[in-house]
Amino acid sequence: MSAESDLQQLREQQGLLTDSLSRMVQGQWVGFPSLEADLEALSPGIHLNPRPPMLSSEALPPEAPDWLACYEPDTVMHPQVYDWTCSACALDWVLTATARRGTDREQTVYEIGYPENINSAYGLMNGSGVELQRVLADYGIGSGQGWLTFDQVYALAGVVPGMMSGGAWYHWVAIRGRDGESLWIANSAPGYQSVWSSLSRADFNRLGPFSVVWLRR
Amino acid sequence: MGVTEEEQRAQITQLQQQQALMVQALAAGLEGRWIGEGSVEAYLYALNPHLQGTLVTNPPVVP
Repeated sequence: MSAESDLQQLREQQGLLTDSLSRMVQGQWVGFPSLEADLEALSPGIHLNPRPPMLSSEALPPEAPDWLACYEPDTVMHPQVYDWTCSACALDWVLTATARRGTDREQTVYEIGYPENINSAYGLMNGSGVELQRVLADYGIGSGQGWLTFDQVYALAGVVPGMMSGGAWYHWVAIRGRDGESLWIANSAPGYQSVWSSLSRADFNRLGPFSVVWLRR
Repeated sequence: MGVTEEEQRAQITQLQQQQALMVQALAAGLEGRWIGEGSVEAYLYALNPHLQGTLVTNPPVVP
């Protein structure tokens, strides 16, 4: 066999291998055309025992987490009694609104970690909300955190609840959802800095930057 | 008329490059990257640009 015919054969095999990949990515594992058919063309007489994987088109949609099925955005938010407990109030609201337990703000303060993580001198010590995330995880709720834009928070608020704190606000609230073009919030200090139950884009720009903790589906 | 040695060398180089892409595509599949950046789909388009827009993807479910 000449080098030229060797090259021709290699090119044909390369074509079959490329086609094999395209069959795999298209979910065509057996039958014709398929990966199986390409392999039989590459190696005539090959003995195959195919076990095709479950395909995306066959998979059921992922189940919503238990907390999301229980989520009640209308859950009442009572005003805070102490001026340093806004983060605990926000977290307690999330735990209550997702039916993880009944409201108990004192317990929430200790779950966050009094006095090392939250105290009367500074409020929540780590402004990112990492300790709030830890408590959520203790209740089986995954979460994400980021310093987000208004549009990012607005997008999240249409899907999942969360909590957020403005750097110039120095105040944590829970995110219930959307209120028209604003964010619908559960605010334990209604009226503070002229914000009640919704936070507009202008409020967001005035009181930010915002650290946001959102619940993961 | 047969191909020249230079042409054969160029064809071998092309086949070697395609083989490297094939290996990367298989590795992407093994790691569960079927569509998107660095995926089996992406390496396929590098192997054969004419495939772009022709594939109806239905990748395996990756746990």
